[in-house]
Amino acid sequence: MSEKNDHSNCQCNDSNCAGEVDEVELRRQFLHKISTITMGTMTLALFPATAGDGSDGETAGGADLAGGNPADKESRPVYGFLVDTEKCIGAGKCLTACRVENNVPEGNYRTWVERYIHFKDGTVQVDLVPEEGFAGSNMPKVDPESVDRSYFVPKLCNHCEDAPCNQVCPVPASYKSPEGFELIDTDQCVGCSYCVQACPYGVRFINHDTGAADKCTWCYHRVMRDEQPACVEACPVGARLFGRVDDPESEISKRIAKIPTQVLKEHLGTGPKVRYVGISEEVT
Amino acid sequence: MNWIRAFVRDTRHLWTLLFLVVASGAGFLFVRSKMIPESFGQYGPYRATAMTDLAALPSRFQADATCLECHEDVGEERAEAVHITVRCVHCHGLGEEHIVQARKAAESSDVSIDPASDWDGDFMTKIDLYITKDRATCLACHESVVGMPEDFQKIDVAEHLEEMGAGEPEDPETCFECHGGHDTAP
Repeated sequence: MSEKNDHSNCQCNDSNCAGEVDEVELRRQFLHKISTITMGTMTLALFPATAGDGSDGETAGGADLAGGNPADKESRPVYGFLVDTEKCIGAGKCLTACRVENNVPEGNYRTWVERYIHFKDGTVQVDLVPEEGFAGSNMPKVDPESVDRSYFVPKLCNHCEDAPCNQVCPVPASYKSPEGFELIDTDQCVGCSYCVQACPYGVRFINHDTGAADKCTWCYHRVMRDEQPACVEACPVGARLFGRVDDPESEISKRIAKIPTQVLKEHLGTGPKVRYVGISEEVT
Repeated sequence: MNWIRAFVRDTRHLWTLLFLVVASGAGFLFVRSKMIPESFGQYGPYRATAMTDLAALPSRFQADATCLECHEDVGEERAEAVHITVRCVHCHGLGEEHIVQARKAAESSDVSIDPASDWDGDFMTKIDLYITKDRATCLACHESVVGMPEDFQKIDVAEHLEEMGAGEPEDPETCFECHGGHDTAP
């Protein structure tokens, strides 16, 4: 029957092929078509759903940061962080405040303070400021006579505009909130540490209590209820300043407008949002 | 009807294939719908409720305002003090339990909170509150180290005691013996 069919097919198409060859060719065409249809169906099954999700996301917020929904964008605050190294005294109060606020395990830091010492002979030394301050710590004393310039540099997450940590995350765990906070969904995080390695500022670590990546959130939970981040609240000398940079009347905007500020590793193009006062180019 | 039987027989392998394709496609969509969190994609390629979870975290680090709700007198005492920028929690700890107790006591007269004069070591630990009077409290900020701003008050204890004419290096034992408490002055 099939042979007959093939034969008639052959005649209809008016091809000059013989029965044997024709059958092989037909089978090849069939396989080709069926694989195309299968792939097509799979792709179609996949597409409408993702396209739906994507378009929802774009109108609601995904593309909003790039100018999607103007009404929302108008009202959406833009936050910034200013660190004044000319004021920092290295007391470590911010470190304790952060640890307490965010349950940071011992040995990890969401924020830390470095001490940069520029010696007169041109060398630079970088120390980590102890959490309890220098009193009682066994930090070796530095002879003030040999020091040209020295200052404390508090470090924390820069909440980059174009965050590398975000880009490498293989699961939807690392994301940027509509307010511009770079955050981690600990439920989704698989703890692969890609982001830990990707961050050029070294602010991420694996929290062994939760098994997920962890880092400074600029105290997202506090900011969302109009409180200052814990480290800002704790600083006795006002070396840390947090606020809305889109509001020209805010303290941070006024300070940034008045004094020159820098960001860390600007050449990497990550768009860091923590601005520093009074650091030299050795600080990275 | 013969041709129908023949058609079914000859195309049975195609029907099997069609069934497999449909079944695996449906299975894929089912598993996908189960695995993708509900709020995924609301703002972007992540779970939108993750932000709600995060925003629901408690503010543990208490600002002075919380303490001053009850301790107004301390607020007045400190209003003009140089150390107004030093937070209550820096010297007294978080006192989370203390705040809980105090809030309860404020609501109901049945609950009372022990007066400060009754505090002992155990009690302080229990309510997560303490009074720190050792030198380290002051020296956490004022210890003279390289790196501090020029105009910040730096203290070298040995030097300072000698200047002040103290007899022994351990006497007075704490800074507070000379420098007062809440209105600590230079």
